[in-house]
Amino acid sequence: MEKTIVQFILDNAFLFLPLGITGIVVTIILLFLPKQEATPEYEDVKSDFITIFKIRLNSYVLVYLFIWITMVIIGALSNFFIPTLIGGIIAAVPLILLVILEQRTNNSKVS
Amino acid sequence: MGFIEINLNFGENTQLLAPFIAMIAIVWVFLVYYSYKKYGTKKTIMYFLPIIIATLLIESAGVAGGRYYYSGYIIYLSVVGGAVPLIIILAWSVNLFLFMHMGKYFISKVYRKQNFLQIVSISVTAGVFGVCLDLLEDPIAHYNNWWIWETSLSGIKFFNVPILNFIGWFILIFFMSVATLLIERSRFSENRKVLLSISSLAITGSVIFIFHALIVRLFEFVGLS
Repeated sequence: MEKTIVQFILDNAFLFLPLGITGIVVTIILLFLPKQEATPEYEDVKSDFITIFKIRLNSYVLVYLFIWITMVIIGALSNFFIPTLIGGIIAAVPLILLVILEQRTNNSKVS
Repeated sequence: MGFIEINLNFGENTQLLAPFIAMIAIVWVFLVYYSYKKYGTKKTIMYFLPIIIATLLIESAGVAGGRYYYSGYIIYLSVVGGAVPLIIILAWSVNLFLFMHMGKYFISKVYRKQNFLQIVSISVTAGVFGVCLDLLEDPIAHYNNWWIWETSLSGIKFFNVPILNFIGWFILIFFMSVATLLIERSRFSENRKVLLSISSLAITGSVIFIFHALIVRLFEFVGLS
């Protein structure tokens, strides 16, 4: 009978427990060792943009779009239309949100 | 059974596996190179290595537990008895890096102050974006036998994919994003951040384990799993 990952880990606690304890001990040691550096309070995300054919695109949105297009094409080639259509619409939500947000931010900067 | 296994029957029992693997390989190479150029070696290790280790253990446990399996891939890795394709582990590192940075970009437009609330908001956004893409990817993967869920699994399914899978995606991306962002924004040196990102997997993994166990119990209690 199949087990959930949780059941599998519990059944093999002798394997995972030493790993976990070692990790926790090392983390505590690393956290409490001296020497620290300062970090800036704000992060600039503007440099995530790349320009292709004079169109300014966010690199991550571009990668997500590439994955989305590839998966939709594979879904269509598999003759698996309805799930691809429904999944494609849901998976397009992050893209739409990011594009709308980018446009609104640009418009508010102009006005 | 060794740590690395080679399968000579590429694509057996699957459809369109080659374009899927090619897509992951292209995206992984691009993002690792992009991260290396933009953030440097240490941050790139911090972004990619912990999730590779975490998902290697989780996926291997999932396969060893008999809930699903992978067929037709070339290189498999096995750490706790279940063979997981290398490309799937690399795909997970793409997922975390991509969704965490999309979450950063999205939240930075509406809330710029860098505090714990922003970290949680970014991580929630990353998890939701991840689930959105998985709702497209997982049914296609199951249909083409890229990974095969046991048909005996009960509970609510989305085109034959158990709903707990999507919850698992959210939990994993959410907590890994929280851990990565907390370490990234800490005041430790870069070397220590890299070490912390790996050692703290024990803590992040325990939290993921407890949350996942609670949700599985809850689903069983209400009869959804």
